[in-house]
Amino acid sequence: MSVVKRPSGKSKWYLPGILTGLSITIKHMFFNLLHRKDMFTIEYPEERYPYGDRFKGNHVLTVKKDGSLRCTACMLCATYCPAECISITAAEHDDPTVEKYPISYEIDILRCVFCGLCEEACPVDAIRMGPEHQTAALAGSNFVYDINRLAYRPVLKGGVLSRVDDEDRHKRGI
Amino acid sequence: MPKITINGQTIEVAAGTSVIQAAVKLNIPIAHYCWHEGLSVAGACRMCMVEIEKVPKLQIACNTPVTDGMIVHTDTEKVKDAVKWALDFHLINHPLDCPICDQAGECKLQDYYMNYGLYTPEMGERKVKKAKAVSLGDRVVLDQERCILCSRCVRFTAEVSKTNELGIFNRGDRSVIGTFENRPLNNKYSVNTVDICPVGALTSKDFRFKQRVWFLKDFDTLCNGCSAGCNVVVSYNQNGVFRSRPRVNHDVNGYWMCDEGREFYRYTNKEFRLEQVVERNSELGGAAVRGKPVALAVQEIAGQLKNHVAQNPDGVAIVLTAQYTVEEYDALIGALTQMKIKNFFHWKNNEETFDEFDGLLLRGDKNPNTAGLVKVLKKYGVGGSWKDFEAGAKAKKFKAALVAGPENQSVYPDLAKRVEAVSQCGEVIWLTSCKNDLFNGFKWQVPMKSFIEKEGTFVNHKGMEQKIKAGLKIIPNAVSLKEFAVGIKESAGVAP
Repeated sequence: MSVVKRPSGKSKWYLPGILTGLSITIKHMFFNLLHRKDMFTIEYPEERYPYGDRFKGNHVLTVKKDGSLRCTACMLCATYCPAECISITAAEHDDPTVEKYPISYEIDILRCVFCGLCEEACPVDAIRMGPEHQTAALAGSNFVYDINRLAYRPVLKGGVLSRVDDEDRHKRGI
Repeated sequence: MPKITINGQTIEVAAGTSVIQAAVKLNIPIAHYCWHEGLSVAGACRMCMVEIEKVPKLQIACNTPVTDGMIVHTDTEKVKDAVKWALDFHLINHPLDCPICDQAGECKLQDYYMNYGLYTPEMGERKVKKAKAVSLGDRVVLDQERCILCSRCVRFTAEVSKTNELGIFNRGDRSVIGTFENRPLNNKYSVNTVDICPVGALTSKDFRFKQRVWFLKDFDTLCNGCSAGCNVVVSYNQNGVFRSRPRVNHDVNGYWMCDEGREFYRYTNKEFRLEQVVERNSELGGAAVRGKPVALAVQEIAGQLKNHVAQNPDGVAIVLTAQYTVEEYDALIGALTQMKIKNFFHWKNNEETFDEFDGLLLRGDKNPNTAGLVKVLKKYGVGGSWKDFEAGAKAKKFKAALVAGPENQSVYPDLAKRVEAVSQCGEVIWLTSCKNDLFNGFKWQVPMKSFIEKEGTFVNHKGMEQKIKAGLKIIPNAVSLKEFAVGIKESAGVAP
């Protein structure tokens, strides 16, 4: 049995409610016009909200001092990745002190869940989660990021230097 | 026969057995690096410490013979502590570059650190630096820093391959494994040193950096490289097969396998395989038609064979290589003899070297199942030699030929010459697992399953029957010879 609540006479007086609501809106409008700096909204995309340093956006592959990739292709990130979005092909480097390096490093950004476990797994600070979060593209293939995109995209201005340095480690006898 | 009790379990062993061998029989794990069942005892690593009652100090299990009434404990605090500190000393100069080390995931240093170690290293000294990525030969790379000097590889070259290429040079913490001048590690069994290396010091050039081992699964099978029939385990994942290593079988190969046999896994991978049926269509002027369903192709082949037999039963030749299983031969020869075909030929490659044997494993007969094929041919009372076939083909006697071609073409050096002889027959149906441009002129090419995709029996040189199981599916369109034979039999009964 359905119970229908009959509209009481009082609810027909909707006009005061509307006017109260409008007055609040108009009050805010005039307040914002006079105090534009305190406004909550921003004019995206001309204005952008500054994210915290720990924000997990698009990945960055770091580089060594000579500009080559820091990554040693150990595949710990690919192993740890819960979305299985990282695929690496390793190869033998001519320099015996480097030994192993990636000839291809691809991240399927549409699969990525931006959990940051790759960053956590990396033993040599070769992969970081960067601040960028806008990943729009026109074709599906553009969402598979390769080494050029991950390490040398224009925003990075020639690459981000890794904190782990081989020479330094050798000197310390590690 | 002395009786020994290890951790409360008693076993009677032959006199002269060491404690660690008795423990292996009881499935009791004892940490060890230098001891290997197939090699002599070195007693170098000091990891296999056990506590023996009434003996004041801990003893190494690998070099202590069992005496009657011996009571051994392997799980006491004293033993665990000794193993822990032995491990700490092993790791003093170890570089800990596990991220770029190929052994990571199957490394005994990692395993024992998790089982016994879990300490915080307290060495204040710098690590001794040694050479990395030293090429020892055509197939093996050495990392001197990672080596723990267990000397397994040195003993292998001294005792098993008997080539003595490796040695330990220098003293103390500067000791390194190395080869002598102008004598690289190039014997026929060199990659076994990689298998027995308990750490990542020796790595195989073929497998190096191809995959991390934890992405791979193992599958037990047999090597199809020669008539020795070595037991192997192949490692694979969704990207293909990556390596093949020996599996222990004391009746066949012991602990070892040859380097040649390690390379044949690659012919099971997609890039070498024939993936679809290829038909030369005479109505289209000899153009190749690909992708016909195998079942349909087999029906057509059966019809064509039947027509040829109806014209002249002597005009059809069946050529068989000894690279398929007994069950497959049985099914095929059974089906074809029912169709009244009687010209069967055994294609032997390099027959003159068939009886060669290098004293360890390698056989001159490069087919896994010569004995099996001979047995089946005998059962049906058929079988001629290649020479008979060649003479017949030259005389244009055969209007059609069905060839069960070699799966492993690399051991058929005269393949091109033989293909030429076969192409003198009218219509050729070539069954093969690997693609090759040589076969392009043939009427039919049918993709076959490789030895890791089908089940059956191989009979090795001493007549020992060994089973293989079907494991992977690499080419979905491929059929085994048995499936092909069943198809022929079914459609020959129906086809006009």
